[in-house]
Amino acid sequence: MNAHRLTCVGVLLLAGWLASGGAASTRADEQRKNFVACPIVRDTASVPCWLAEYEGEMYFLTLQTDVSAPVTPPWLGHQVLVEGVVSSEPRICGGVVLKPVHLSVLPERDASCSTILPAEDRYNLTFEPPRPPGPSKGRLAFDNTPPAAPPAATTPASKEFVIAYDFDGLVGFRHAGPLSQILNFARDVNAREIEIVGHRGAVLLSNGRKMVEEPTIGKQRAEQVSMLLQGANLKEPSYKVRWMDEPAKATGVDDYLSRRVVVTVRRR
Amino acid sequence: MSMTTRSLVLFGCISVALATVAAQSGSPKQWWAPGQGTSLPALSTYENDRGQVGVLNASGQLDTKGHPFFEPIGTNGRACVTCHQPADAMSLSVRSIRERWAATGGKDPLFAAVDGMNCPTLPRDDPRSHSLLLERGLIRVALPWPPRRPDGTRIDPEFSIEVVRDPTGCNTDPVYGLQSANPSISVFRRPRPVANTKYTTHQNFGVSPFIGKNGMPAATDPLTGKPTSMNLMSDARVPTLAVQADDAAKNHLQVAGSLSAAQIARIVEFERQVYVAQVASTGAGNLVEPDGPPALGPRNLAAGDAGVLGNNTTRYVFPLGGKWATLPRTSSETENARNAARESIARGHDVFMFRTFWIKDSMHLNSVGLGNPTKRTCATCHGMHMTGMDTANGWMDIGTTNLPWASEVPLNPWNEAKPQMPLFRVSCKPGVKEHPFLGRVIYTQDPGRALISGQCNDVGTIVMQQFRGLAARAPYFSNGSAATLRELVDFYDRRYTIGYSEQEKQDLVNFLGAL
Repeated sequence: MNAHRLTCVGVLLLAGWLASGGAASTRADEQRKNFVACPIVRDTASVPCWLAEYEGEMYFLTLQTDVSAPVTPPWLGHQVLVEGVVSSEPRICGGVVLKPVHLSVLPERDASCSTILPAEDRYNLTFEPPRPPGPSKGRLAFDNTPPAAPPAATTPASKEFVIAYDFDGLVGFRHAGPLSQILNFARDVNAREIEIVGHRGAVLLSNGRKMVEEPTIGKQRAEQVSMLLQGANLKEPSYKVRWMDEPAKATGVDDYLSRRVVVTVRRR
Repeated sequence: MSMTTRSLVLFGCISVALATVAAQSGSPKQWWAPGQGTSLPALSTYENDRGQVGVLNASGQLDTKGHPFFEPIGTNGRACVTCHQPADAMSLSVRSIRERWAATGGKDPLFAAVDGMNCPTLPRDDPRSHSLLLERGLIRVALPWPPRRPDGTRIDPEFSIEVVRDPTGCNTDPVYGLQSANPSISVFRRPRPVANTKYTTHQNFGVSPFIGKNGMPAATDPLTGKPTSMNLMSDARVPTLAVQADDAAKNHLQVAGSLSAAQIARIVEFERQVYVAQVASTGAGNLVEPDGPPALGPRNLAAGDAGVLGNNTTRYVFPLGGKWATLPRTSSETENARNAARESIARGHDVFMFRTFWIKDSMHLNSVGLGNPTKRTCATCHGMHMTGMDTANGWMDIGTTNLPWASEVPLNPWNEAKPQMPLFRVSCKPGVKEHPFLGRVIYTQDPGRALISGQCNDVGTIVMQQFRGLAARAPYFSNGSAATLRELVDFYDRRYTIGYSEQEKQDLVNFLGAL
């Protein structure tokens, strides 16, 4: 009897744990919104904001700001891959705020993505100072404070750098900084070897569809990074360049991390 | 229309253009002939239609006798100064070109066959052979195809290129054309001002080992190995003033071999200390009064900070101060007219700085993190303090050479004018991502930076020019397609559907003309 009760309690507890875990997992999934849509730009009395509609809901992606912002606006004329998490922040420009959010402008042109909505008083974005690029202070400004420098230490024998990409993307305007960091480190340590590994990403969309990057993208990325570093006259180290033809496993959670090149710089 | 009739029409157009030389207001522009040997004062001023431009030698008066910038050091009688005239803000105006034709019957070395003609194979001394120079101030620039790296190795371009239209005959010429033994592409471009070079060659904001617009390696100074700002010439094909001097000497002055190190050093030394800007306005009077607007005049340029961003409210691109925003009215009509002109310049500044519009489908602007479209202002792209250039890597496609925006002659049975600019069809190769705004096939009058980089995304991108001394050096844009500042403003108004009011246009023109 006692044993039976214990068993029953155990089963109930297990069921409850699973239920709570399962519910949490479901809630987490509901908070993630991965989808492809035409971006929409809404004018305001100050700077425009960028939105996208998915399953009848309007989502706020970002607003026009400075090129150094961590999230920059998408493009009309192209669809955008949105990988974001629903935040509890108040709506902006009528859209549910996705934060964090990762946006990939898809390379193919799509003339149907052309919606510019006019300004409406109810979507007023106020910020100070009213400079043309966008807000530099307040809630709507992005935090671009660089992370605190780590304490001084001996230079490691090797250092790994991760270069992130848009979906099906190669090096673009975002990459001058990361490439410069690799170049400077390699020069500082008189690098002996540079290993470059290109990855091919995949993303699980919220509708269950899986998007996989083009088959040769890992190769293209790895070879391009090698070419760029050598083109910047970093020719002394030996280069090991390889890539993954198989796409990463798409889980719907932070799949953007799979679109990457990993560069390992080894010192002499 | 038969070829003979077309030829007559063209001849008529050029004749009209040349006839207008005599009708233009004021005395002829002051022409600096190669080897004339006079001194260039510390500060000299030259008349133009909007007032006077000032040329400042910051190092003091320059003795030009024997100076390689001013002497005909090549084989065709030209000097650097031929195409970089002090009276033309160290560039070359079409007005000066026409005056030289009229004065010399086309014998001036400026009209040398190598690049002062539409193609060297055409008959000399016939104005039709020089129509692009006489009508739009364009010099022929022949670039190798496929492109070459600085070490001479070939670049495998991302696109193929075909000649669609060849009114000059040079791109299909058996000696000079795309199918010749030395395949080259002839494009036609305006000479740029050789002045204010501390801004065009700065080592400050935006200069990086990798180009901020596309992540490609930046061109480096062959002497120091350092990355450069890549803001020289229409296509950034030369990294430094020294390389540019040698390149120009070979290709435009037809110097045999290379310039000596001493010659290059003297040319660069001169170019590093010469500043140009408008100093007087026909309407607004003296632009460089004490305590006047801190952006105006060559002395302020010489004293300014180079290579810093100015498209914000803490450091303007062209700081005018606030004095001209509202000026008093007096009993003097002359003074009132002057004050009204100054207020117009101040309003034009505000249009430049704060009048927003939607900037759309412009490669290397909308593609670099601003979004497409972006609601911003003139100062967004023209952001470098004191010059209005991009701070670095300043090539961009605003549609001056790419269709559908480039200026094209309207073709219809009632228009006898025919296109004068070449037209190329650029096809991005399979496996290369298409141009994000123009697609896989692009029609262009000048592929611009793409003839250097070989990249599809660079087709029709042109390094933006500095805004100084504009009044002295019409026409505008790299292909001379805007004859006046008003046409320049109208191009932007059309390209970006801005909807400027007439007042805004006039103010913007007055502002630009005062720089």
